[in-house]
Amino acid sequence: MKLIGKKKVDENEYIAVTPNDSKYVIRNPFSIDLKINGHKKDIKIFENEEGFTFIEFRNKKYLAEITDKTQNKYTVLLNGVSYSFTIESPISYRRRKYLQKYKQANKIEMITAPMPGKIMELLVEESSSVKEGESILILEAMKMQNEIISQVSGKVKKINVKPGDTVTKDDVLMEIER
Amino acid sequence: MKIKSLLIANRGEIAVRINETAKKMGIKTYGIKTSKEPNALYLRLVDDVIVFAESMDEIPEFLDIERIIDAARVHKVNAIHPGYGFLAENPYFARRCEEENIIFIGPSASAIYKMGNKTIAKQIAQKYKIPLLQGSQGSVKNVMEAADIASKIGYPVILKAAAGGGGRGMRIVEKASSLEKMFRLATSEAEKAFDDSSVFIEKYVRNPRHIEFQIIGDRFGNYIHLGERECSIQRKHQKLIEESPSIALDEKLRKEMGAAATLIAKAVNYYSAGTVEFLLDADRHFFFMEMNTRIQVEHPVTEMVSGVDLIELQIKIAEGQELTLKQQDIKLTGWAIECRVNAEDVQAGFSPNQGIIEKISYPRGKNIRVDSGVTDYSVITPYFDSMVAKLIVHAETRDKAISATSAALRKFWIRGIKTTIPFCQAVMNHKKFKKGDFNTSFIEKEMGKLFFNDAEDEMLAAYVAAFDFAAELETNRTTKPDFERGKNISPWVLNKRLKSL
Repeated sequence: MKLIGKKKVDENEYIAVTPNDSKYVIRNPFSIDLKINGHKKDIKIFENEEGFTFIEFRNKKYLAEITDKTQNKYTVLLNGVSYSFTIESPISYRRRKYLQKYKQANKIEMITAPMPGKIMELLVEESSSVKEGESILILEAMKMQNEIISQVSGKVKKINVKPGDTVTKDDVLMEIER
Repeated sequence: MKIKSLLIANRGEIAVRINETAKKMGIKTYGIKTSKEPNALYLRLVDDVIVFAESMDEIPEFLDIERIIDAARVHKVNAIHPGYGFLAENPYFARRCEEENIIFIGPSASAIYKMGNKTIAKQIAQKYKIPLLQGSQGSVKNVMEAADIASKIGYPVILKAAAGGGGRGMRIVEKASSLEKMFRLATSEAEKAFDDSSVFIEKYVRNPRHIEFQIIGDRFGNYIHLGERECSIQRKHQKLIEESPSIALDEKLRKEMGAAATLIAKAVNYYSAGTVEFLLDADRHFFFMEMNTRIQVEHPVTEMVSGVDLIELQIKIAEGQELTLKQQDIKLTGWAIECRVNAEDVQAGFSPNQGIIEKISYPRGKNIRVDSGVTDYSVITPYFDSMVAKLIVHAETRDKAISATSAALRKFWIRGIKTTIPFCQAVMNHKKFKKGDFNTSFIEKEMGKLFFNDAEDEMLAAYVAAFDFAAELETNRTTKPDFERGKNISPWVLNKRLKSL
């Protein structure tokens, strides 16, 4: 234990923060004294002879895989379902909270490609205004034509694609100013 | 004529499936190797591989009729099995095979043509007094004509590509004001997918069940059906889960629909295996939709309940053998469910999830069948459809089949890509699905969450992430930088390293 300011900081404590800001406080991840959110948990991690990693909890087995990891940002696949977390130490978690207060609300909405495909048609032009739920372009993927819908109301600031372009997943197609 | 060698003009799990039966029958099999998928599983299983090294022109390999015919000629192959998709329902391909004295494993070119053209198919059904949905007589020329018919039969209506299938070129129009836009989308999609922009219009039945009958005919006028398949669990007209039999049918309705299905087959002198699709409305009226003149993706559920090998029958009928099975010989036992395991990210709107399968392991059991087109290190490419495997489970009753499927899904392990397994699990655990109370709008209307997880799953995932993070902190203190950023190291290995410090 170290003392920082007046609060005790536990070096064996990690905080997993979800995208919607709920948190899991994990203490002693390597020990049988494992506690999550203050409750003692009996969780085992093991690997089988085929090389799959499993979690065992309450006599149930879960297939686990870390699919993405950049610094402290994790995506974990558990029984085929993805979960994203940012892992913080008690100190970095406090800094995060502090910074969040000063973060400005983002005014530009990036419309990204939900899947790889080809741009078939643009339904809006630059500087035209769009309403939430309005179709803004048609993306062909796996021979299906998909309407891409604006999640926000605002003005089209920039269009990054033109009909015939091939895009990959998460490419920014358009920027819309709220 | 006895078939001694067979070219499989397809890929993926269906190529594997056809190869298996053909080999069992002592037939030499040929597979087509493309540059898009040079290490595909089916290529390791076939007896001989024909290499289509470079794409010679714009036509994709499995659609290149002359190239396939040429390959068959050069290798003196007796027969071609087209599988499903690609050239399976291309009458011109069947005709070219006939001309070259190559046996096409499927029906005659004329039967494919008649049933493939929905306008002609509907005329035939009408002639034989099979119930049909109201709609246009043939394809509609323009939006004006479409609007005219739509107002006559009443909204909602559905626009369908005349040459279509698999949900492509299909649009539902709820009101007159959106007809123009939908008409444009449907025709351009039809043009893209089938090289034929013509669409027809018909009354749209809200929330129907999709029921299809497996039929088989030979060249001697014998026809039987192998019962129905319920394929109502679909998303954007793409089937995801199928079962046989259907909980919506009783013996009487099964007989009636089975008779209608065989009548359609007879009308076009159909031989080989085929599927007649019906819509069943809430009042249990059925309507003829279309006939698929090929083996279907979901054929295994029929095989499980009937004990019949459909590919074997297709080959025997193609050889000119007479169908020895009679309708009364067909005993359907138990219940079978098929789950399609697609490389799709359910949490991102079922978007294709390309990548490499690092490791795959299947559930095992007496009543479990897995038809897979992949193995360890298989690459999921953007060139082909996203299906990687099918899980088929057979049990005595529907309830037992559902719980056995759910258990099997938990033992279906894949690392490297995301699949539709959590979706299938969610369906198996859905109250209304278990009760049998569902229709084609099930996914849209009844499923809030499209994947299955328990309340504590997120916590367990958080633990995995925290464990890895903590383990990495420990190793960073003592070892060199980890250039793989920990991605390829399992928590287990890290754990071991920690212990050995």
